[in-house]
Amino acid sequence: MKKEMIQATSAYERFIHWLLALSCLLLCLTGVGMMYHSLNVIGVVMGGLQGIKSVHNVTGVIFLVALLLAIQMWWKEAGIFVFPEDWEWTKAAGGYLWHVDKVPEVGKYNPGQKMFFLTVALCGLGMVATGLAMWFPFYFPMEIVRWMYPLHVLGFAVIFAFFFVHLYLGTIGSPGSLPAMLNGWVTRAWLRTQHPKWLKEMEETGSLVIRDDD
Amino acid sequence: MSEKMKVIDVSKCTGCRGCQLACKQWNQLPAKQTKNVGTYQNPPELQPNTWTLVRFQEIKKDDGSVKWTFRKEGCMHCTDAACVKVCPSGALHHTEFGTVGIAQEKCIGCKECMSACPFEVPRYDSEKNKVSKCDLCFSRVAENLPPACVKACPTGALSFGDKADMLPKAQKRVAQLGGDASLYGDGFVGGTHVAYVLQEKPEVYVKLPRNPQVPLSVIIWKDLLKPVALLGAGAVVGGALLHYLIHGPKRPVEITEDGKKEGGN
Repeated sequence: MKKEMIQATSAYERFIHWLLALSCLLLCLTGVGMMYHSLNVIGVVMGGLQGIKSVHNVTGVIFLVALLLAIQMWWKEAGIFVFPEDWEWTKAAGGYLWHVDKVPEVGKYNPGQKMFFLTVALCGLGMVATGLAMWFPFYFPMEIVRWMYPLHVLGFAVIFAFFFVHLYLGTIGSPGSLPAMLNGWVTRAWLRTQHPKWLKEMEETGSLVIRDDD
Repeated sequence: MSEKMKVIDVSKCTGCRGCQLACKQWNQLPAKQTKNVGTYQNPPELQPNTWTLVRFQEIKKDDGSVKWTFRKEGCMHCTDAACVKVCPSGALHHTEFGTVGIAQEKCIGCKECMSACPFEVPRYDSEKNKVSKCDLCFSRVAENLPPACVKACPTGALSFGDKADMLPKAQKRVAQLGGDASLYGDGFVGGTHVAYVLQEKPEVYVKLPRNPQVPLSVIIWKDLLKPVALLGAGAVVGGALLHYLIHGPKRPVEITEDGKKEGGN
């Protein structure tokens, strides 16, 4: 039987996604490696804590670049809620978390993804701002610098929570989703189940890119 | 080992700066060009190469006369040391004498201690990318010698010994001085290991915090958010796995050729 594959993402989208994802992951790893003494061992491959700190700082700059490009690319699609349909979907949690007979239909990005995008965008910018003050403390009043550290940890906690839910729902929690960010091709069934409105939009505008696999 | 304490009797200090020099000599801290800011105080602030300095201050008395005061400034060696609490590398640590030591080879120059210290003591050396401060001459104290500053002091303004002996001595001196004299150092941050016998009211002295404490930001950061972040991360990871086990994934709904739906949940 032939399997119809539909292109869900462009190579540019995937590149920015992974640049952001991998830099974020490395920041989390090096960050906790500095914050928790018991995780200092993460720094061994980077030449100790001094190395961790350097990697963390440089990765922070890459993260900022990736974040700005991601915001520029996604804010229109993923940064704006549309009511009331987004609210209907949110009340049902999109049928991801518990059984819902009829999941409200969503477009390219569902409200959960929008929340994740906005969290990463806002907390991410916050992490860069607090991080820069920690990196160059002499340019800011000490009273301000003092509060950058707890805010940085708070930002980490929020981003990590959203990141892990995203990881779960992008892999084993929602089979068929991962290829959208690997090679960009998803099945019609996946698209119809997870993003029905988007599928209809693409069908109507004729922008559907289809490939038949044997 | 017993807890040690250095007492700085401000009333006996003549501002000779012998302590400042002895500190540099013992710790091999080179002098650097400084700027004259219009007082005998030099340098104006603590530096990576100046771990202690004498603050020169003119105080106008109620009767119109002017009094010159000298206050030796440096690390207070707190029991609840905010610098030790925030140091990610363990470079800053408590010693067997209750003082706060610094293992420079471990320092990564992150400067977290600088904003944490309520006395603004740690100083950053950009050439070495390290922070430095007074370690109360650990290398001397470990050999039963007094710190270099105490050894050099010609007037007896500086004294050093077991904390248990030094505190009553300092209190006795305060009582002897009477008037506005007070003991500064034992009532906050869990008790310091450097204490002042102040002749004037504490608020008279510049750059001497009235109520030094571990900053609230440090407590929220280290005692609250640090464990909460770990718990939160664990809860999310555990929650996701439980969701997978109990509820299972949301699968795409396949429509077979005869129009029946398969999959989903």
